[in-house]
Amino acid sequence: MLLINESFFFALFEYSFLRYALLTGVIMGFVTPIIGSFVVIRRLSFIADTLSHFSLAGLSIGLFLINIMGFTFISDPLYLAMIFSVIGALFIEILRGYYQNYKEISMPIVMSLGTALSALFISLSGGFNSSIYNYLFGSILTVGNEYLIVIAITTAIVLGLLFIFYKEMVIISFDETYAKLLGIKIARFQFVSTIVLAVIVSLSIATVGVLLVSSLMIIPVAAAMKVGKSFKNTIIIAIMFSETSIIGGLWLSYELDIASGATIVLINLLILVLVGLFRRFYVRKRLKQTQLDIQRK
Amino acid sequence: MRVSVSNLTFGYDYRTVLKDISFVLKSGDFLAVIGNNGSGKSTLIKCILGINKITPNRILLDDVDVVDYKNYKNIGYVPQKFDDFNYEFPITVNEILQVSKYTDFTEDQKLELLDKVGILELQNENINNLSGGQLQRVFIARSLMNNPKLLILDEPTVGVDRENVEGFYKTINELNKEGITIMLITHNIHESKANFTHILSLHNGEASFREISRGDE
Ligand SMILES: Nc1ncnc2c1ncn2[C@@H]1O[C@H](COP(=O)(O)OP(=O)(O)OP(=O)(O)O)[C@@H](O)[C@H]1O
Ligand SMILES: [Mg+2]
Repeated sequence: MLLINESFFFALFEYSFLRYALLTGVIMGFVTPIIGSFVVIRRLSFIADTLSHFSLAGLSIGLFLINIMGFTFISDPLYLAMIFSVIGALFIEILRGYYQNYKEISMPIVMSLGTALSALFISLSGGFNSSIYNYLFGSILTVGNEYLIVIAITTAIVLGLLFIFYKEMVIISFDETYAKLLGIKIARFQFVSTIVLAVIVSLSIATVGVLLVSSLMIIPVAAAMKVGKSFKNTIIIAIMFSETSIIGGLWLSYELDIASGATIVLINLLILVLVGLFRRFYVRKRLKQTQLDIQRK
Repeated sequence: MRVSVSNLTFGYDYRTVLKDISFVLKSGDFLAVIGNNGSGKSTLIKCILGINKITPNRILLDDVDVVDYKNYKNIGYVPQKFDDFNYEFPITVNEILQVSKYTDFTEDQKLELLDKVGILELQNENINNLSGGQLQRVFIARSLMNNPKLLILDEPTVGVDRENVEGFYKTINELNKEGITIMLITHNIHESKANFTHILSLHNGEASFREISRGDE
């Protein structure tokens, strides 16, 4: 940690907005790869993208209500993003029922509705402006005390649920048929996990923005699963990657005065590339050896 | 567990696969299910497992209709194919067994089981690194984790080497002696060293069911 420049370090003591940003980042950096792992195993990466686009509709409607209609009871459009994300999740679930054999059809339908509504309300609110830019690409430096508390509480609830239903979640994700045999209520679990995903997606918007939410969830997991030895080990590695990218990204973006969301995601991608190279030159050899050892057992 | 199947007819779409099948197994019976490829063996057990949806009152498990059956933890199952399993994400043998366990199976019992099935050394391996036969043994172990009262095995030893096949039959014969009902789908009933009590032979959707005398008694 020699790299930490004093100015960022001291600025943390000085400016509360930086502390809020860092705390928000650390919390999201912890929870997103955990949720992201289940998304990856169940091959649902596209859902995160769909929901974040649907949240954008909530954000633009929020901006419209606040700026044009003058509604003051909505303090922050991010709350509407959360509500819309959940509504989007419900739409996806309903449409999946209609297209039993083409379940992924529900994604482009919901995504186009979200994108169309966003475009409509952005134009009604006077077109593209800096708040929209923040929602698209992240605005972690604008996170306030109140929203930080919302993030902390929601994350605690999500982690609590996961802790209680860990076994069920893992077995459903890896082997749905067997989970059905064990009498686990798959439909109910799927419903709850889609809602949880919706909430986490909408919370991540503040960190990296609508367009980069799925990267924050998926890329650390994609890198970790190439080197992880077990399920838990993979998730821990994913969390480490994710925290590195967020803390590193915040620091770098502060020092260089560049966009934080983009920096975070680029660091994530850099980690992915490094892991790929590491695997190519080191792990493969080790893996071959392990496989040989196992076959001998 | 008692299994009673009465006048079961089942098909996919418009094609009937099982026609008017009836048979009864008591606790401790050991059934071999035989028949050509496509004769409906896997289809039959999927009906018993509640994976295939059937009409009420056709299959009773300990006098409870499968349609309403809730205690599936009492049933161990090794499927013929593992297509439904998501392999690519890392998970170890131990971890997968851990999340499949819903009874107070102790750590010692687990180790004993892993040893019997011949995967004790593979406990902490990532399942992605296992061979087909090793994976098959993992799933066999898993089917025994919840102290099943009915064990349903769909060609469980395909791809398993001879040494471990023998160990496997020894294990299930012992379990059967303890009173567990077993249904085993197999293509070589004579080669397997299982102590069958009954044979169900499927042919063109129809079944013939008969009792056989036990080889070991
Ligand atoms: N999910 C399904 N949908 C439609 N048809 C199916 C389905 N599963 C099986 N069938 C058909 O039902 C028939 C019986 O299949 P089943 O898998 O029960 O045979 P089997 O006796 O287990 O064969 P094998 O020895 O090859 O395992 C086959 O003709 C198969 O094509
Ligand atoms: Mg079959």
